[in-house]
Amino acid sequence: MIAGENILTVAGLNVAYGESKVLFDVNMKVRPYEVVACVGRNGAGKTTLLKTIAGFVKPASGTVTSDSTSLVGMTAFRIAGAGIKYVPQDKKVFSDLTVRENLELGSYATNDYDWSQVINYFPKLKQLMDRKAAYLSGGERQMLMIGQSILGSPKLLLVDEPTEGLAPSIVAHLQDVFLELRKKTALVLVEQNLPVVCAISDRVYALSEGRIVTELVDRQSIRAEVCEQYL
Amino acid sequence: MKVLRWWWGLLLAFAALALVRIFLPLPFANEIVIFSIYAMACNFLLGRVGFISFGQPAYLAVGAYGAGFYLFYFGANPYVGILLGIVAGIIVSLAVGPLFVRLRSDYFALVNLALSVIVFYLMQKVLAGITHGDNGLWFLTSIASTPVLDLSRPDHFFIFAFLVAFAIWAFYKYVDDSIFGACCLATKVNEDKLTFLGYSNYSIRLAAFVIANTTAALAGAMYAVYLGFVSPEITSTAHAPEPVVVTILGGVGTLYGPIVGSLVYIGMKDLISRVVGNWELIIGFGLVFIMLAGEKGICGTLEPLFKKALSRAAAPGASAGVGGKTT
Repeated sequence: MIAGENILTVAGLNVAYGESKVLFDVNMKVRPYEVVACVGRNGAGKTTLLKTIAGFVKPASGTVTSDSTSLVGMTAFRIAGAGIKYVPQDKKVFSDLTVRENLELGSYATNDYDWSQVINYFPKLKQLMDRKAAYLSGGERQMLMIGQSILGSPKLLLVDEPTEGLAPSIVAHLQDVFLELRKKTALVLVEQNLPVVCAISDRVYALSEGRIVTELVDRQSIRAEVCEQYL
Repeated sequence: MKVLRWWWGLLLAFAALALVRIFLPLPFANEIVIFSIYAMACNFLLGRVGFISFGQPAYLAVGAYGAGFYLFYFGANPYVGILLGIVAGIIVSLAVGPLFVRLRSDYFALVNLALSVIVFYLMQKVLAGITHGDNGLWFLTSIASTPVLDLSRPDHFFIFAFLVAFAIWAFYKYVDDSIFGACCLATKVNEDKLTFLGYSNYSIRLAAFVIANTTAALAGAMYAVYLGFVSPEITSTAHAPEPVVVTILGGVGTLYGPIVGSLVYIGMKDLISRVVGNWELIIGFGLVFIMLAGEKGICGTLEPLFKKALSRAAAPGASAGVGGKTT
């Protein structure tokens, strides 16, 4: 990777579900080890943006490039294999499998069987290894999902509403984990929790009705009262 | 303890198969063992991958004709015939799999049924010159005697079929416990999530499809060798739901379900048809009742009860120390 090169560049992205257009001419960039937050009201197109980057939704036009490779047209599993991991909002894990088996699935896909980092971030998972994922709390599921996705040292994590519906103590814990994670990987968060956004983001994109209306790049301007007007 | 329970189940299931041999006529026993192999394939597809297929007879027929063509036209060694049946199963699965596994479960069920119909008419009409149409291929008397296990003898065939069923059962047990088995279950439960992790659902399904249908082809080849006869009847659509019914009857996704299901289904068929003329009607009502009574199937319903009884029996043993009861 060339120093200063964007780890992700989105240019002129238009996305439509059938007749209804969801994203209009979206441009964004993510630099290495940067935390980028996307804020906006429900239906603004934040999740669609992440899904398009992850290869789940095909754009009508525009480009998505990572390290000078175009991601448009690549299958979702290849994009994941290339180190761009999407952590969806639904907090669904493989409920019939144990925590250990869930992590094994992450390991097998990436050939990374070193779980020390996962356990380091989420010590609680160590005690839950043999529990079926169906019996995990929402916070524990989120830990497991992030744990799965950081196996194989991804270069970019796309995390959709990670703190939604979680207890404040777990939100605080996840915030610390994201601050640690940014030392190793870049992050794009879709997040409604403004204190979290303001505490960890280097860049904020505000979306409204499928358009990026503001880009905040200055740490001073990333403040709750500034972001709030876009929610 | 977990290992013990596991082995107990295994012993019980195969002890039941061995008892079948002692108490029931040999042809009946042979049919149950072969059918349980056939049902294991369906159980894997339905229980692990979430694919319901009404076209399993197509793959059964491919295996049967693979073995049948060889034994009728080219040679006499039954082992070679079975091997060729397996090869035919792999080839056909690989040919249709890339198209079929892209479909959702309901369409998958129907497209396989369509394949079953295609194979039926191919064998009955289109290729009648070499398949002899409805008359079928008859090669019972031309199967050569083989050393050690002579497959031309029904009693030896039972031992062979029993060993094959055991090997296939152990194979599926191994697959279930492997990371591939976890992938299969994951693709059934949440395919998107599996993609997020970097897996291709398509590749996993294709592999599972080929494994299951090759097993069905193996069962078909064994039928051909055992009966010494193949006809298009084997892939008739009337038989299409049979493996699915047996799987559901035994308990979808359970380890012993296919064996128990085969035993009960073929047992019912055989016993009732001896007494009553319209036996299909009785079986139909019987199946409706069994499924309404416990939609988990026989094994799915009995297994938790059995485990409860086991743990109750084990509790006093555990307090007595290491030498206590292991059951």
